[in-house]
Amino acid sequence: MTDKLFNKILVANRSEIAVRVINACRVLGIKSVAVYSEADKNSKHRLLADEAVLIGPPPPRQSYLDIDKIIKAAKDAGCEAIHPGYGFLAENSAFPRACEQAGLVFVGPPPDAMLLMGNKVESRVKMADAGVPLIPGMTASADDPEVFRKAADKAGYPVMIKAAAGGGGKGMRIVHDPSGLKDALEAAQREALNAFNDDSVYLEKYIANARHIEFQVLADMHGNCVHVFERECSIQRRHQKIIEETPSVALDDKLRKRMGDVAVAVAKAAGYVNAGTVEFLVDDKGGFYFLEMNTRIQVEHPITEMVTGTDLVVEQIRIAAGQRLSEPFFHLTQRGHAIECRIYAEDGENNFLPSTGKVLHYTEPAGPGIRVDSGITLGSEITIDYDPILAKLIVHAPDRPNAIRKMIDALHNYKILGVKTSKKFMVDVLQHPEFAGGRTFTNFIPQHMTDRTVDGNSHHALAAAVASLTQRRAVAVDTGDGRSAIPSPWESLGAWQIGESIHE
Amino acid sequence: MSKHEFLIGGQTVSAEVEKNAEGYLVKTGESQFTVVPIADGLFSVSVDGHRKTVAAVTCNGSTYVDIDSVLLELREPSQDGVAGGAGDHAEAPDKIFAPMPGKIVKLMVAVGDTVEPKQQVVIVEAMKMENPVVAKAKGRVKAVNFAVGDQVSTEKPIVELELEK
Repeated sequence: MTDKLFNKILVANRSEIAVRVINACRVLGIKSVAVYSEADKNSKHRLLADEAVLIGPPPPRQSYLDIDKIIKAAKDAGCEAIHPGYGFLAENSAFPRACEQAGLVFVGPPPDAMLLMGNKVESRVKMADAGVPLIPGMTASADDPEVFRKAADKAGYPVMIKAAAGGGGKGMRIVHDPSGLKDALEAAQREALNAFNDDSVYLEKYIANARHIEFQVLADMHGNCVHVFERECSIQRRHQKIIEETPSVALDDKLRKRMGDVAVAVAKAAGYVNAGTVEFLVDDKGGFYFLEMNTRIQVEHPITEMVTGTDLVVEQIRIAAGQRLSEPFFHLTQRGHAIECRIYAEDGENNFLPSTGKVLHYTEPAGPGIRVDSGITLGSEITIDYDPILAKLIVHAPDRPNAIRKMIDALHNYKILGVKTSKKFMVDVLQHPEFAGGRTFTNFIPQHMTDRTVDGNSHHALAAAVASLTQRRAVAVDTGDGRSAIPSPWESLGAWQIGESIHE
Repeated sequence: MSKHEFLIGGQTVSAEVEKNAEGYLVKTGESQFTVVPIADGLFSVSVDGHRKTVAAVTCNGSTYVDIDSVLLELREPSQDGVAGGAGDHAEAPDKIFAPMPGKIVKLMVAVGDTVEPKQQVVIVEAMKMENPVVAKAKGRVKAVNFAVGDQVSTEKPIVELELEK
């Protein structure tokens, strides 16, 4: 590659995915421009990019969701392309259209394909016409509760209400009997309106003992379209994925090929270009149903990269520049097993309620086959303004049991203090015999984790022992071996004296 | 030697720290550990033959500790009036607080209603998610201090109850 694909790319996102894209630009020798809100002045993505542009106050509508400001920032900085990451504007078709009008390349699919797949109802109709298997349910969104009642009766309870503009678990509700339908419908509409500015919802049959299995696809502008195998994302809380893995234990080569072929057919039917993900539900009899296509890079893309030795974000940028799919993508194999755990700022011991605070201590694990994609550093302020993802831990090992063990160790060695996370919860999932046995269904958490308790008492003595060493008066600088026993700087609000006696 | 006291999970635990050849020998009740500081906020300890790395940091009178992914919070008794902060309003079941700052998107109760433990009374939206807030005890609603659309902090109760015996 002698010519650069682009000279400069604007990254229209924040946190770990912005960092991920900036790093891909660096690999390609492309300059990166970050955008940031006033809440993100000291954020990692802002400080890592070659240039950074302040685009407004913390609320997303006035910063990360403001198309005009972002396009202007890109033009002013002399960018040729924009990468949207995931979330925010990534699946808003007005954004690629605005890029087009401004003469900027959008690193993602054409607006028409995005628009079609963004409407979960229209895309179902289109895919049904293309012969793709679907879950029984409504073929159009509606307002009238009566329409939902009839559709639910026809499909049979339990049913699932979903946002037409949906994704990320927002605006989704399971309804077990007719009495809960009205409340669930209203809640889903409210949440959909807030998350997507569109309150249309629809209903389909809820499939029990289902696995969530998705296929990564890549398509270039020259008619090439391939799948890059599956990711199983069945471990979800509140319909949001928290642990993903590949390969899925539920697929044999035959089913993998059938589903992969359908995924490619879906992308082709949509006129898709760039990286996308085709999501399926797989029932316990090996039947599979198309759920939706996500027209962006996914949060969980790293596990695919780990088992195939590829860089999907680099490939996205190559495709956007008009290149053909790289040769290796035509004969990839899956090597070993990869798992990802999402570290969210939420209390795993209290119903996953969002947690806020300042990061007082931060250490990432390292070692062969361990990858951390993070958007935070020591001192980061975690606020309620944005999605609570802090980082993603990814491990790669020769097989599933080793990957599980490696992940448990990586979670223990991922240290973050000052904000609560669901780290311990994920350790308990990974240690559960049903998880080890590969019986990972989408109802895993309600079924196996509800009665779980954490025994903190057994750690009290050790906690107190270590806590005493964070007290200034306990610890003097150890000059014996050159190592210093300095407590965290966050503790030392006042001056603390080097060589202070430990005798008081 | 220095002595320390902490409040943890409602109990008081004391610790005695003494420098030894490897690091620090810390005695807490019947247990004792050799703790070696290895970096800012990171400590190496051998427990039952397994070496662990424990993270700990002190800020504003609270010490946060991570042991095998279990997060513990210790307080210094001298500074401890009422354990403050969101989520620590457990001692006042007649007052229902938002678990985090956010916007009220739904109120399910009105003054005069009777609520049961674990009954949802309000939904607070934060971080783009709807978070249900439940009653901790049975009671009759005495006051509702906010309306749908209001921003709430964790300081003022959203709903106040008159507890039933």
